[in-house]
Amino acid sequence: MIHVRDLHLSIGDRPLLKGIDLQVERGSVWGIIGPPGGGKSLLVKTLCGLFTPDRGSIRIDGVEVCGLDEPALVPIRRKIGMLFQNNALFDFMKVWENVAFPLARLKPDLDEAALRERALMRLREVGLAGSEDKWPSELSGGMKKRVGIARATMTESPLVIYDEPTAGLDPVTTSKIYDLLEKIRQSTGATVLAISSDIQGLSTFVKNMMLVHDGQILFKGPLPALQECEDPLVHQFIRGLSEGPL
Amino acid sequence: MTRLANLLASIGAFVLGYVQASITLISIAGRSFRGIFHFRGRAKGEVLNQMYQMGNRSLVFVTVTLGALGMVLVFQVCLQINKVTGDQSQVGPEFIKGMIHAFVPILTAMMLATRIGAGIAAEIGSMVVTEQVDALRMTGVDPIDYLIVPRLIASTVMTLALGLFAMVVVILAGAFMAHTSFGVNYNVFFIFDKVLPGDMIIGVSKLIAHGAAIPIVAGYCGLTATGGSQGVGTATTRAVINASLSVIILDFIISAIGLATVQKVG
Ligand SMILES: Nc1ncnc2c1ncn2[C@@H]1O[C@H](COP(=O)(O)OP(=O)(O)O)[C@@H](O)[C@H]1O
Ligand SMILES: [Mg+2]
Repeated sequence: MIHVRDLHLSIGDRPLLKGIDLQVERGSVWGIIGPPGGGKSLLVKTLCGLFTPDRGSIRIDGVEVCGLDEPALVPIRRKIGMLFQNNALFDFMKVWENVAFPLARLKPDLDEAALRERALMRLREVGLAGSEDKWPSELSGGMKKRVGIARATMTESPLVIYDEPTAGLDPVTTSKIYDLLEKIRQSTGATVLAISSDIQGLSTFVKNMMLVHDGQILFKGPLPALQECEDPLVHQFIRGLSEGPL
Repeated sequence: MTRLANLLASIGAFVLGYVQASITLISIAGRSFRGIFHFRGRAKGEVLNQMYQMGNRSLVFVTVTLGALGMVLVFQVCLQINKVTGDQSQVGPEFIKGMIHAFVPILTAMMLATRIGAGIAAEIGSMVVTEQVDALRMTGVDPIDYLIVPRLIASTVMTLALGLFAMVVVILAGAFMAHTSFGVNYNVFFIFDKVLPGDMIIGVSKLIAHGAAIPIVAGYCGLTATGGSQGVGTATTRAVINASLSVIILDFIISAIGLATVQKVG
């Protein structure tokens, strides 16, 4: 589904991604972990063509993303649902309009009643029935995340990216959110990339992990292999030790 | 030697930054004008909504400020004329002409540059730093078509409408002042013979050009905002300064072109 080769990205003159190689199979579920500022968000945004890399190649379903202009990126972005790190809910739209927006763009012939109907269904699934006519600013942090998740999964796109779906949430809400993500994944069979700094919670949901630090992937592989990784930084990070290279 | 090299390098970087910014601005302007015809790129009713927002927010502001300025201007002119000749028959016609081709277009636009420009930059800038613009792009929306074009259309129409309205207000306010303070008769003041088609053309062209420049410059500042709320603040300040500057420059250029073509002096 995703093939990344030797990806380099710098903003200004700061190199931020330094040679990423990655292969994500269709239907697989990946967790992305790593210290803050390591480039996790930047990596997934670059996959969607939101940043233009200096060099390297990104192929999604065999289509090269690098070098495409915005109109040419539209069909690729249609295949991707994205929850942004700070939700990025449209503050000038009501909750249900936020959720319906990707679908309205994908299917311009759907009328407002049909869109609202579909959005309400999605909102019920994420446990937000009754909030459809609120504004995003009226919601709590956990509710905003749910709206973001509902919007990201609205078009049932084959690839879904969750950037920090549980950051800043209490443990109960966190496990509810992972249950929700798993339920959605089972019903759509989508390929999933989920970024989080909460390794325990994430481990209940993903089958594979990669650890991104300083613009590089220090580890990638199946979940059990993460525990055996020899890299001192990985070792320190996954055990939460205060002694080590970090 | 290294200091000279450093100096040259920083001058070069500065110029290069400037050139890059200009290229981005010009490309945004070009895409915005083309976007006027992409009807599906923007939300339904957004142009009307923006027009309402801009007009509603600016009508009283423009009326009061320009009305007051018109009165002050007429008062000062009459005062000076009283000291010299005392013949106030020319005050009205000259005042009306000057208001239409010069005074009202630039002042209306400068006021709207602060009012509308700041609003646009703050709104779009905060959408950039909260990733809303990225979220729009992910659904295949072109931020220029969706965010800037409705504001471009609305601002052009409303600047023109507010400017024409302000001309009426200023002339009425000036006549009122001349009449009450200096006893100038209304039918001596309201003589429109001096206003030639050229003056009208220049006044209207200025209003249209300024009305289009403000949202493009402010939109550019908003779209290039970086960082958090501080970045939005910086973008807003930049928008007000740059929109005002571009209004002044455009006004100067149109005045010069007008003087050389459609305007008759004398
Ligand atoms: N739009 C941007 N402009 C400049 N620098 C950025 C931008 N986005 C991220 N960065 C920088 O890139 C690095 C990685 O950021 P990010 O991908 O957000 O980290 P994280 O792994 O916490 O998600 C950080 O040092 C950050 O300062
Ligand atoms: Mg991040």
